[in-house]
Amino acid sequence: MFNSNDGVKGKEVETIIGPSVKVKGEFNGQGDIIVEGMLEGSLTTASSLRVGEKAKITASVEARNGRISGEVVGNVKCSGYLEIMATAKISGDVEASALSVEKGATLNGKISMSGARETKSEKPAA
Amino acid sequence: MHVYIYDSFVNQKQFDGLLAQIETRLTDLGLNGKISRLGAMMNIKDTVANELRRGAKTIIAVGNDQTVNQTVNALVGSSIPLGIIPVGKKNNSIAANLGIESDLAACDIISARRIEKLDLGLANNSFFLTKAAITTKGSIIEIDKSYSIEVMEEGEINIVNLPTDEKERLPEVSFNPQDKKLELYIKTEAKKNFFKKILNQSIFTFNRLTIINKKYPLLLDGLTEVTTPAEIRVAEQKIQVIVGKNRGF
Repeated sequence: MFNSNDGVKGKEVETIIGPSVKVKGEFNGQGDIIVEGMLEGSLTTASSLRVGEKAKITASVEARNGRISGEVVGNVKCSGYLEIMATAKISGDVEASALSVEKGATLNGKISMSGARETKSEKPAA
Repeated sequence: MHVYIYDSFVNQKQFDGLLAQIETRLTDLGLNGKISRLGAMMNIKDTVANELRRGAKTIIAVGNDQTVNQTVNALVGSSIPLGIIPVGKKNNSIAANLGIESDLAACDIISARRIEKLDLGLANNSFFLTKAAITTKGSIIEIDKSYSIEVMEEGEINIVNLPTDEKERLPEVSFNPQDKKLELYIKTEAKKNFFKKILNQSIFTFNRLTIINKKYPLLLDGLTEVTTPAEIRVAEQKIQVIVGKNRGF
């Protein structure tokens, strides 16, 4: 169920908001977060975020990397890589260093690509 | 001096043979000490307090999870370590999670004296070693005064320090009674159809949590009831425990 392709590592998830749970308020984390339920307010993490297909977020979202398959009403900001999957619906502005959008995704808002691009390894200058 | 606190239920005839084997093994290992048997007039809290005053160097709970829970509450904040000898086939999940697999193996573990400092959970004024549990029905949870959690389906809310149920071990999340944090673990069952139910799980890590339920109390370590509202936080490294090599953390 959890693989390393979306940046959410198998053994390091700090928070899982399951399908039957609704969170309201300011959610600040350090580790990887998986949202399958509902969240209202704001969500910030220094690590990776995955939003499941049936999840609904009404909040501003900030993470290092993100993979969105559900609904987000609010701005999304990733300092690294953001993947918007086919079932995603985003109503808000999107900001990321690297972005991919699958066919079928719905995106209503501004897109800006800003900040230094994160790379896994960089060759030293010759 | 080692002090062995024998819970009252181990005095039943069915445990005579086992206790004889345990006492022989302890003698062979040079771990003789004082045996203190609980009864109608003596509770664990008073017994432990008396033995600490008399200079006990190790307190060993001989019994089950209930024995361990009460001994933990009596030893909180003390530098004297707790050992465990589990007796009986049931209700010994705390010992199992601390790597103490059986009654006789426990004697060798006490001899090895591998001591770890563990966190405890504190719910109002009561400590718990494993978890605090309450139903989702009517429960309102507020975490770190930052956000609240509402659970839409019937299920169970667990505040976990040391997990005792294998099902509580999500492969993606590690529970550690030494990480200075508690985990909020919510499990609910949703009906997919008439025959099939889906287990939904949620995990949150927190420093401080408030839980309110007007109808149902919070249950600590499966034994002690605490009325809500209850403020729950971690009590860092509050107890020293002799653990086995194969512990779950």
